[in-house]
Amino acid sequence: MTSELVDYALVSVALLGIGIYGLAVKRNFIRMLFAVEIIINAANLNLVAFARFLPDSSGQTLALFSIAIAAAEVAVGLSLIIVAYRMYQNVDIADFRSLKG
Amino acid sequence: MGMLEITSTPMILVLILGTTGVALPIVSIARRERGSNSFYAVIAFAALAASIAYVGYRFLTGDVAESAVFSKDVLGDDAFGGFFAIAMIIVALFTTAGSFNYMRKRNSPAAYYSLILLATIGMVLVAYSTDLVMLFVAWELMSIPTYVLAGFLKKNPSSNEAALKYFLFGALSSAIIVYAISLSYGLTGSTNIGEVIRGLAALDPSLMPLALLSVGLFIAGFGFKMGLVPFHQWLPDTYEGAPPPVVALLAAATKKAGFAAAIRIVILGMVALSLDWTLALGIIAVMTMTVGNVAAIMQKSISRMLAYSSIGHAGYILIGLAVSPHTPLGLQGSLYQILNHAVMKGAAFIAIGGIVTALAVTHIDKLAGLGRKMPVTAMGLVLSLFALAGIPPLSGFWSKLVLFGGALDAGSTLWWAPWLAIAGVLNSALSLAYYGWITRKMYFEGEREKRIAEPKSVMAVMIFASIFLVGFGIYPEPLIQFVEFAAPVIP
Repeated sequence: MTSELVDYALVSVALLGIGIYGLAVKRNFIRMLFAVEIIINAANLNLVAFARFLPDSSGQTLALFSIAIAAAEVAVGLSLIIVAYRMYQNVDIADFRSLKG
Repeated sequence: MGMLEITSTPMILVLILGTTGVALPIVSIARRERGSNSFYAVIAFAALAASIAYVGYRFLTGDVAESAVFSKDVLGDDAFGGFFAIAMIIVALFTTAGSFNYMRKRNSPAAYYSLILLATIGMVLVAYSTDLVMLFVAWELMSIPTYVLAGFLKKNPSSNEAALKYFLFGALSSAIIVYAISLSYGLTGSTNIGEVIRGLAALDPSLMPLALLSVGLFIAGFGFKMGLVPFHQWLPDTYEGAPPPVVALLAAATKKAGFAAAIRIVILGMVALSLDWTLALGIIAVMTMTVGNVAAIMQKSISRMLAYSSIGHAGYILIGLAVSPHTPLGLQGSLYQILNHAVMKGAAFIAIGGIVTALAVTHIDKLAGLGRKMPVTAMGLVLSLFALAGIPPLSGFWSKLVLFGGALDAGSTLWWAPWLAIAGVLNSALSLAYYGWITRKMYFEGEREKRIAEPKSVMAVMIFASIFLVGFGIYPEPLIQFVEFAAPVIP
């Protein structure tokens, strides 16, 4: 493993950590969505870096798929939050409390 | 990556379900009408019935490879995938039939049934995929429609909250899976599952921590969908708030897709890494079933109770995965339990859908006298609950027998494996307490109630499930042979 690849991997692990921190600490739905996106981008960075150093193209293929699918996922997530905002005038997940056991 | 024959099972399933799924909303726009739920339901049902018939036909003509294969293609036409395809399409048929009455007078039925078909393709392809890229795309094709389905009742705050929670955890699980895929790709230089497993087996020992991280992330990612403790927090809220027919699809089918992916990648990959991981999975199994069953006792809403019972069942299935390197009965028991659980849980949630449609209640105290009010629904629900508990003449008993028997069988090489069986039996006894409580409410409490009109489609599902559970309970041979044919063999 070359040292440059290690740099990419370190940045990617740092992004993974930021994403998990964001999910654990924030309660605003849109911020949590950002956190998930950061994790996906950490994985994409990994894929592209590995594909460059292997060298092999299937990692880049997967990165492209993952970017496209993440966009679809965000579209669904934002539409859900728009519906929630109309009901609660808020995007704070701690305020959504119609279900409890 | 090569191309698969056009007549292979996954290709034909994509063709049938995909074409119908995409065509339904287009037809709905072309017809310029709203409502007419039954038209779309019948088309979706026909497409699913045709798909399951084709899977069965491929099995009967013997064109399907035994067990799980690792081909160079992105999809493998093997018995393992076919087994999951049958389990998932049965649940999708339940959901489509069960939605027939539930969706009446609700908006956009065409989109609803189209999303069910698209999610079904996703689940089936997860079970068939032999390439990580395919697996990820199929996983998302399964997940994204179910996020929308969970929030389908736009005006209902519970449905929306259920969808939001499901979405957040689902998106996190997909993100973690991509990360795990990226690591295993970097370590082995391939995305083909067979080559990844071979690459991991020949891995440089200095890279072992990264391989461990990758396997751990895979377990976490799939564990969110399977509802393993500690990844289960979203599950009770989502199952309580989402429309009950959709919950049948989530609990009985998408959960099983998680197991399909986990068996193909994690279990076989861990064997390649020769890790001593069985104890870790065993501990998760015991935690999962105990948390599920103990929490289920305290619930007041029947959907929420079944959600926790569904967590408990993920624990039982995991027993088989934990002991799989030591006995072939492990994975066979898991697969058997997966098929039975698909029918039992699917039928139970469709019954709840029927109760919600007719009476608009989910609180357990309000179910008093249901045995007289809705006899067929109540009978189907009680049979499913008893099968879930594992009462002898029903099909659920045999799968638990194989599972716990596998754990005892592994006891010769694994000293703690029999304890898994003991924990499983104790948990089943515990679960009988709350299933028995619901049954007592339905049959032995309440005033002399008159019979009310039951939703006909729900009755059909109940009758099918009852025949399945009682029939394969009395005569389990065909299912046992099917499971033996489909279960992957660990070298």
